[in-house]
Amino acid sequence: MSTATLADSPAVTGGDTQWAVETHGLTKRFGENVAVNDVELLVPRGCAFGYLGPNGAGKTTLIRVLLGLTHADSGTMSLLGHAVPRHRDLALARVGAIVDEPRFHGHLTGRQNLQILAAAREPAAKGRIEPALERVGILHRANDKVSKYSMGMRQRLGVAACLLGDPQLLILDEPMNGLDPAGMLDMRDMILSLVAEGRTVVLSSHLLDEVERTCDAVAIVDRGSVIRQGPISQLLAGSSFEVQIECSDPDRAGHLLDATAFGAHLSVGPDGLAISLPAGTERDAIAEINRLLVEGGISVYRLQHIQASLESWFLEVTKRLGDPE
Amino acid sequence: MTTITDTGPAPTPIPAETRSDHRGSWIPTWGMVTTRLMELRRRRGMMIALIAVNIGIPVVFLGVRLITHAVDPKSYGPAGGYTIFTTLVAGFMYVFGFVVAAVVGCTAGSVDLTEGMFRHLVITGRSRLALYFARIPAGLAIVIAMVAVGYTIVCVVCVFAAPTQLNYDGVNVPQGLSRPALDTWAASHADEVICDFNYNGGPGLNGPPPNVPCGGGQSSGPPPGTVIQTKRGTITVPASESPAQIRAFAVSVANQDYTDYHSNFLVPSTSLMVDVGLWIALEATIGFIVGLGLASLMGQRTVPVVLLIVLELILTPIFSRHIISHLLNVQRGIVGVAMAHIEPGGLPTPFSGGGSGGGPGVNPLIPESTLTSSLVIVGWIVVWTAIGAWRMKTRDA
Repeated sequence: MSTATLADSPAVTGGDTQWAVETHGLTKRFGENVAVNDVELLVPRGCAFGYLGPNGAGKTTLIRVLLGLTHADSGTMSLLGHAVPRHRDLALARVGAIVDEPRFHGHLTGRQNLQILAAAREPAAKGRIEPALERVGILHRANDKVSKYSMGMRQRLGVAACLLGDPQLLILDEPMNGLDPAGMLDMRDMILSLVAEGRTVVLSSHLLDEVERTCDAVAIVDRGSVIRQGPISQLLAGSSFEVQIECSDPDRAGHLLDATAFGAHLSVGPDGLAISLPAGTERDAIAEINRLLVEGGISVYRLQHIQASLESWFLEVTKRLGDPE
Repeated sequence: MTTITDTGPAPTPIPAETRSDHRGSWIPTWGMVTTRLMELRRRRGMMIALIAVNIGIPVVFLGVRLITHAVDPKSYGPAGGYTIFTTLVAGFMYVFGFVVAAVVGCTAGSVDLTEGMFRHLVITGRSRLALYFARIPAGLAIVIAMVAVGYTIVCVVCVFAAPTQLNYDGVNVPQGLSRPALDTWAASHADEVICDFNYNGGPGLNGPPPNVPCGGGQSSGPPPGTVIQTKRGTITVPASESPAQIRAFAVSVANQDYTDYHSNFLVPSTSLMVDVGLWIALEATIGFIVGLGLASLMGQRTVPVVLLIVLELILTPIFSRHIISHLLNVQRGIVGVAMAHIEPGGLPTPFSGGGSGGGPGVNPLIPESTLTSSLVIVGWIVVWTAIGAWRMKTRDA
């Protein structure tokens, strides 16, 4: 495992950088509204990277800027080591993306739509149409008109379109939209298999549970700015956690702990005691709780350390940022 | 300082193939053109309109004429011939060919945006200009092919189902006579000439026409003994006129009509058909290019189609024949006016009913040199192509 920082990121000139996506000071304004605000983003190659944020946080706008769908007002960016927009053609040659809802020519079949997109890529892309259709599971419907496709099938066709370029980087904006549970499972497996092949997947989603199951690292964006980014395990390690206690007398245990520093984070529920401990609390605190209860004559049957989920961490982070100073 | 762990393997370099596929070039690939062609020709509604106007309506019109003439040749004239050719081409194919070509252009210029495909195409990294320019050969391949098929059918029918005798002012006249020969013919068919040919005074035609029977109990002039007031005084129509006088009058009428007669043919000439074919193909090309550019600029199809219909069916006929002194140069800049100026000779200008100079009661075309007309046409093609390409390049996808 290697570690890199913004300070030692290489100059953006070629395709051999370790970052799939790299932005510095990227800003995009719509009049007075700053949709993307001085974003510093580093997405390592070969991982699934979640890009999370509340509605209107600027997720899709950043993706559109990265892909050259709209221009940035300031800042620099690169995809797969190629500066964008200067070397946009080289950068996008190995990028596949779904932005917003995937839409196609409804009067054409799925295969014909892919033929149009393959023609805009390199000649070899034509030969990737059938494998792409097969991989996303719509080969049997490839000759049906897209107007007859469900939302989920259009999502799959969108992913197939991404695969035409044999991408090193896939940017998927809400790819789970419109998928049923089985479809979401398929999509998750596909994303994981793409990552296993050495590709980078940037997954923009509001389905935090899916992101947690799929991604290695995430960035949290709020009001146009990236406020946290890094591997999920590292980010969650720095968050608050909960200790659940199953014991012989929860009410008395509550009174006992109430008199200590743990009392401020205590709640008694049907499953027993739950103590929320703030980020940075040492693991010894759990042993201290156990000692206090045992010395108080309470039998402790189970003491479980529960790490915060990505969802609770996300809500905690974004709520904290939303609070007045 | 943000710290991120690199979790992935070393990336594979981008294959050399990608670097040599000229993705940044503004020139579209053959594959882009053919797939764009496929996308357009599978639009059923648009293709039906295109086929109906360029092929269907002329075929139905000529088919009905062929059938009616075959059933009752005395009541219904031949399906083809010079007159039918000029009427059909200038009165219908030219004008409505422009309109449907504009519809195709507007479709090609807007559907990627409205159907969400533009974004997918931009993400391929292909030059936006190449994406735009791929639409031009693809669209023109459809438009020009349809115009060519329809026009070929019209030419074939007009040549092979042409009348055997020239029907001039309702009289069967041998085609291609010289002036003396027409005079001779008129002298020998004096009654028909006097009864049916148009004339409006002039040398030899000062008095009333001789009174000859025209069939159906009608006669050509006032009854004998009628007193007619003229500028020179009163004339009493004589009881009868000599055959020589009647022949002389007929020859004078024929002389007066010779120029008009000479511009009528049994069949359109090969050179005329070639010229007219190129002319309506150019008109369709302009319709397509302007539609493409305007729809790309506006990002939609309906409004540009309406605007181009208004231009072709309302503004062009008005501005081509009514001089507005302060707007004369603007009028000259209208592409329809320029196209009317370069139309092949002998063809009635659309909506005018009588040649580029205009028929009786029709104002002549506003003055414009051929060079100016040519520059206006080239200008419309270049400017609208540039506008569409610029908007395509700068538009948010």
